[in-house]
Amino acid sequence: MRLAQIKTRIRGLSLALVALVMTGLVAGLPSQSQEAFAAVNKTGVVCTTGAAGSPTFNLTAKSGYISLPDGNTAFMWSYANGSGTFQLPGPVLCVNEGDNVTIVLNNTLGEDTSIAFPALENVTVNGVPAQPQFDSGGNLTSLTNVATKSGGSVTYKFLANQPGTFVYQSGTDQGKQINMGLFGAIIVRPNVTGLPALPSGVGYAYKRADSAFNLSNEYIMITSELDPDLHQAVERNQAYDITKQHPRYWQINGRSFPDTIADNGAAWLSTQPYGSMVRMQPYNTSLTSPSHYPGLVHYINVGMLNHPFHPHGNHGRVIGRDGRALASPGNEDLSYEKYLILLGAGQTWDVTYQWTDVSQWNPATKPIPVTVPQQQNLTFKDGVTWYSGSPYLGLKDDLPTGTTSYNQCGEYYQVWHSHALNEAANYDLGFGGMFTLQRIDPPSPNTCS
Amino acid sequence: MNENLPPRKVSRRRFLAVGGGAMALAAGMTIIGPETILAYSNPSDVRNAGLPPNTQTINLTATDGWIYLPGSLAPDASGRIVFPDPLGPKDANNNLLQNVYIFGFREVPAGVDPLSLKGQAQASAPLLITDEGRSVTINLTNAGLQVRPDLVDSHTVHWHGFRNAIPLFDGVPEMSIAVPIGRDFTYYYEPQDPGTYMYHCHFEDVEHVHMGMTGVIFVRPKQNTTGNSSGAPIARYAGGAASAPLGYAYNDGVALNNPLSTAYDREWSIFLSEVWAKAHYDDAHIQVSDWSDFHSDFWLMNGRCYPDTLEVGSDPNVTPANPKLQYQPISSLIKAKEGEKVLLRIVSLGYTQSAMTVPGIDLRVVGKDAVYMKSKVDNTSTSYLTNTVYIGAGEATDVIFTAPAFSGISGGTSGNGYDTYLLYNRDYSNSTSGSAAGYGGQMTEIRIYPANTSATILPAQSQPNT
Repeated sequence: MRLAQIKTRIRGLSLALVALVMTGLVAGLPSQSQEAFAAVNKTGVVCTTGAAGSPTFNLTAKSGYISLPDGNTAFMWSYANGSGTFQLPGPVLCVNEGDNVTIVLNNTLGEDTSIAFPALENVTVNGVPAQPQFDSGGNLTSLTNVATKSGGSVTYKFLANQPGTFVYQSGTDQGKQINMGLFGAIIVRPNVTGLPALPSGVGYAYKRADSAFNLSNEYIMITSELDPDLHQAVERNQAYDITKQHPRYWQINGRSFPDTIADNGAAWLSTQPYGSMVRMQPYNTSLTSPSHYPGLVHYINVGMLNHPFHPHGNHGRVIGRDGRALASPGNEDLSYEKYLILLGAGQTWDVTYQWTDVSQWNPATKPIPVTVPQQQNLTFKDGVTWYSGSPYLGLKDDLPTGTTSYNQCGEYYQVWHSHALNEAANYDLGFGGMFTLQRIDPPSPNTCS
Repeated sequence: MNENLPPRKVSRRRFLAVGGGAMALAAGMTIIGPETILAYSNPSDVRNAGLPPNTQTINLTATDGWIYLPGSLAPDASGRIVFPDPLGPKDANNNLLQNVYIFGFREVPAGVDPLSLKGQAQASAPLLITDEGRSVTINLTNAGLQVRPDLVDSHTVHWHGFRNAIPLFDGVPEMSIAVPIGRDFTYYYEPQDPGTYMYHCHFEDVEHVHMGMTGVIFVRPKQNTTGNSSGAPIARYAGGAASAPLGYAYNDGVALNNPLSTAYDREWSIFLSEVWAKAHYDDAHIQVSDWSDFHSDFWLMNGRCYPDTLEVGSDPNVTPANPKLQYQPISSLIKAKEGEKVLLRIVSLGYTQSAMTVPGIDLRVVGKDAVYMKSKVDNTSTSYLTNTVYIGAGEATDVIFTAPAFSGISGGTSGNGYDTYLLYNRDYSNSTSGSAAGYGGQMTEIRIYPANTSATILPAQSQPNT
């Protein structure tokens, strides 16, 4: 029964993919600025931005529901953008290095809450450094200044003094409140003055010449765990023992696979706006092509557990950790390549990815030197596949009758997932959870869009 | 859907491949004695004799089987005994062996029908070895499950960490294909990047990986066959002189006496996996597991628990001196002479993190995830010393240590001619076997011999994990 539900959900998703392609939203991006791109993209980071130089963000802590791929729902707390609807996670706040950032937290929850910014420096409230809170007996009640329950507010300010990827999350009763969903991401864009000019569609992740990336291939992956017992207890105002925490769902950007690969803003995930499907073209040798530059993934682990994350297809290059570029005191590049990213609780990792058509398989000029598989002798699992029917990038071929294909234009798909494979599941059902796809389109011009 | 497929014998293509190996045997090639044949494939293996020099063929079959674990396990909350499994094999006196049910791989010997290995999977999977620049084919046959004729799962091979993979050969069933029972498929690779990788089935991955369809594959560097411009010689693995190192972990480019050299005299693959006994029991007893309840009871090193990790390696095709370990053929016993360089390729395909530690010996981390530890800017080594390697699920770390000075005590600290050090999981709960008292799990010994030890007592190594 669960399997049937998931299949239905995947089918809805493939229709959405077709719609995306038909409207051509993925094409023609390179000439746009990062923010303009963010406004239209169906995959990749969706930025929430504010006024140039001094952005103000109004975040409203409120409750709502999310849906899970097996048909369950979960009661959540998270941050809405101003008076907007509930969403999980909170908005991705994109600011620029040097900005004076103001974040106003309005609390509609029935208990005090706050926002902590663990890797940011010099956060102030009312002109003085944000402070741990104590009650009259001297007991710690919150890691930082709170918005009091049922209508209180608090205003945090900071100077975004360095580029990088940061987390914002509850600083009050975190074991409960962060697990309930009070988390989000902040991306600080570098001041690139003095750095070499880049082709259109290419930007810098850090204030470093070696941090260039393809702006249309920028992604965010916020990893978290979900124990439905906690969410039910909070909804029913019952006690919950955090030492008994037992996750049953594992998420990226507040969604579990296969929802992770649905578009940003997919209609059937109205409170879970952010997808995590990674899409790119193969490495292009031309310096003026955005695909000459790698894609960038901002990983943020807001969970309480470590998550060993394994992108198939290629190594990634780790260029930043916890809002700091990986550089020596002498500013030498200390980046390194990995096929397994072990995301520690609370860490952020910036990792670039590229897929290169090294072998250049081609049916005419370089055929794959083994017998092309006889598909009637092989299995397409559960009768559905992302495979094109052809091993060659950009080609499609027949699939057995009755097999449903999600492949559009001969593109490749790679799976990216937690290698604690019990987390690549929705409760007791595999092929879910902390799991997403990378889509590699054939080089332009192609028939993909 | 595979349940509609008729049973089928081995394909003509596979038959020819197997026949080719048999002919090579008949032609009088050197056969390695059974006591040294390991459960692995490497380019010099007789089973690849007759192939062009830069190609390599590996024949694997996927099936189920039983493995032995020491220790014991308390009944679960409902009083059920899931270890040892009452369906498991019994000894000659009809006593139930301490076995758990597994899924796994086997390498198919020349002339053997891969389907005939049904029910004889090994743990961990055959150690696969290849060389940078070689053309590698892996033929996978699905032999079906002896204990579960009702379960018609397909299988795949996923080469974990292979760069720029294409979906057809990446082994994820939803992204390309999977191999149903009685059928076979050929995977093809051109490995370009030396280092330590792993491979596993990706079909129903949470189940098949945990059930034991997991092993190590590594790519030896070109420097083995060429030496380097700093004077490092051709390695013994590639026919170098007896005085040359056995191999290099990476194309390090430095002289042998450079502290950053990745030359080694001996090497071991240390493969870490876990057994949640209930899930294995459930698979044998036609039950399903709720994987969100996952927790391990046994922690394995190369498919065995300490002290079995110390037993010699064997050939799964031959009943060994210790028959209970026939299908756990890979030894973890590390032996070296004072001053020798030892490479450990530490790999995890469990679902939890491990902290592998060696008290008393510094480990130099020279590679992670098949990447040589070096600066992107100027190629200088960024290797570092530690005595504990923290390793995630799906991660690999290469460390080299120099065998410490022999104590000089008569008979060594052990009284048996060597000094004893330990390699174990610093998470001590993983150094036990189930709920039994005493040591078990992910632990082995490092035995250090005097520099002048004879070749009779400790021969030069010619294959890993020996």
